[in-house]
Amino acid sequence: MSRGGKRLAGWIASGLVALFFLLPLIWMVHASFRPENRIFAGGFFGVLDFSDLHVGNYPAAWRRASMGRAMVVSLTQAAGIIGIGLLVNSLAAYAFARMDFRGKNPLFALVVALIILPVEVLAVPLFLTARDLGLTGGMAPTMGALILPFAAKAFNIYFLRQHFLSLPMELEEAARVDGASTFRIYWNIALPSIRPALATVIVLDVLTHWSDFIWPLIVCTREETRTVQIGLANLFTEPPIQYGHILAAAVIATLPVVLVFRLAQRHMVASQSNVGIK
Amino acid sequence: MKNVRVTAKRLPETWTAWGFLAPALVLLGLFVLWPTLRALFWSFTDADLLRPQQDQSRGMANYSVLLNDPRFRQAFFNTALFALMVVPVQTVFSFFLALWVNRPEPYWRWLRTVFFVPVVVSLPVLAILWTLLYQPVRGEEMGLINALITGIGLPGQRWLRDPTLALPALAFMSVWQGAGFQMLIFLAGLQNLNAETLEAARIDGAGPLQRLRYVILPSMKNSIIFVVTATLILSFRLFAQPYLMTGGGPDGRTRSLIQFIYETTFQDRNLGLASAGVILFLFIVAFLTLMQRLAGKEEKS
Repeated sequence: MSRGGKRLAGWIASGLVALFFLLPLIWMVHASFRPENRIFAGGFFGVLDFSDLHVGNYPAAWRRASMGRAMVVSLTQAAGIIGIGLLVNSLAAYAFARMDFRGKNPLFALVVALIILPVEVLAVPLFLTARDLGLTGGMAPTMGALILPFAAKAFNIYFLRQHFLSLPMELEEAARVDGASTFRIYWNIALPSIRPALATVIVLDVLTHWSDFIWPLIVCTREETRTVQIGLANLFTEPPIQYGHILAAAVIATLPVVLVFRLAQRHMVASQSNVGIK
Repeated sequence: MKNVRVTAKRLPETWTAWGFLAPALVLLGLFVLWPTLRALFWSFTDADLLRPQQDQSRGMANYSVLLNDPRFRQAFFNTALFALMVVPVQTVFSFFLALWVNRPEPYWRWLRTVFFVPVVVSLPVLAILWTLLYQPVRGEEMGLINALITGIGLPGQRWLRDPTLALPALAFMSVWQGAGFQMLIFLAGLQNLNAETLEAARIDGAGPLQRLRYVILPSMKNSIIFVVTATLILSFRLFAQPYLMTGGGPDGRTRSLIQFIYETTFQDRNLGLASAGVILFLFIVAFLTLMQRLAGKEEKS
């Protein structure tokens, strides 16, 4: 094959693979604007039919799934996990990276071992712990159940420790000679230096917990405490089943996380190039 | 400032360290370690979901009941089969995606982002979306997948309602969803690949297959071990897809291990039996992780 032909084949192949990844999502957005009796109409090329689009599914989905309230619940959960998590995980990571104390190595080994315990399988015993602590029922206790078990994360401690270890010691030592306390050194020098790693942790936490399903399924027992995913799942399982509403709610549920990813992408890239330098 | 200095000097480092560690350790202990230990304890009892305190010891009975329970066996078999489909296909697919898009031009960077998009969209949304994509043929109406295969002249399938096709359909959707993430890990691994060695091999007349076999694969061994283990463990955590897409059916052919534990707890209220399932599950995950460590060690020595 000629050089030009090869290049053309490469373009076509990459276009087809890109379509493979994107078409289901394009179909989702397109069908969310179609009237109920036309969702599955037109076969494979129905996605090119723009004649009967309307926005009516969106207000209906927003109302039926109480999306406004669900968004508040989900965003509060994400913000709580990130806020508390960044603080407690980076504090522990800094201690493991920079301090000497008795039992450090076995304790760190224990934390690393906890990384493999998945929330899906711990959900059952965790539910009884949450119940014993009073973290079930109304809005405030449910928020506690959605946030507190996932703030401290063994993987994040491990990940941040690696990044603290890769910082040069000189800056922190100079601050110590100047009489700064350990907390000040951690807060004013070490933490700002690992900003790309913190951004990575934030994005991973958002991606993980925006998808949370089995845990909110168990703890969000009242309609007003439902997260976005549970609101969506209820549209999908409780009659009357309206595919247009389901698809519109699916698009609504996707927008915040896409937005967060777009905003954080730059910082994530920075963290990748940072890894390259080491 | 002066005060701070005095305190900083007086406080022994051990105390400071434990102060830094305390919040995370309390939370991890309360919400990770303690539930695990309780599950271990309940797995030897007949604890009920509503009255976990009034339990009688049953010794190992839960474990023998579990291993002989056809529903548990089926759930284990389904989950293992799902992993056996997802892990090789997703690993090979994402490996070649990474090799393919590992070029500096903006077009290929844009393509990488495209492949990553399904990773960003949350799993419950995608599970619901793919249920509609797999919609069987009903007159003129059908899901996108059936529209595609009937468009090229093949017969439409019932996918999620077909006992033999349902699990592969879930596996296919999961590969589509996760391939972009594994591709990123492979791309990071490819940064360690020495471009000069590869070029030297090319000049020495090594064909594409030989370069793959003798240059690329050996230098990617750690990434491959990591991706295989991570995908394996993720596959074993299967829950949202069968719960939303098939309800575990048809004939229980897609019920996953986690789903079995969930149903045993909240429908049968049998906390003892469910806890035995939790512990067995953790053993499987620990075993898989250990295998990864051993494989990684072998590589180093």
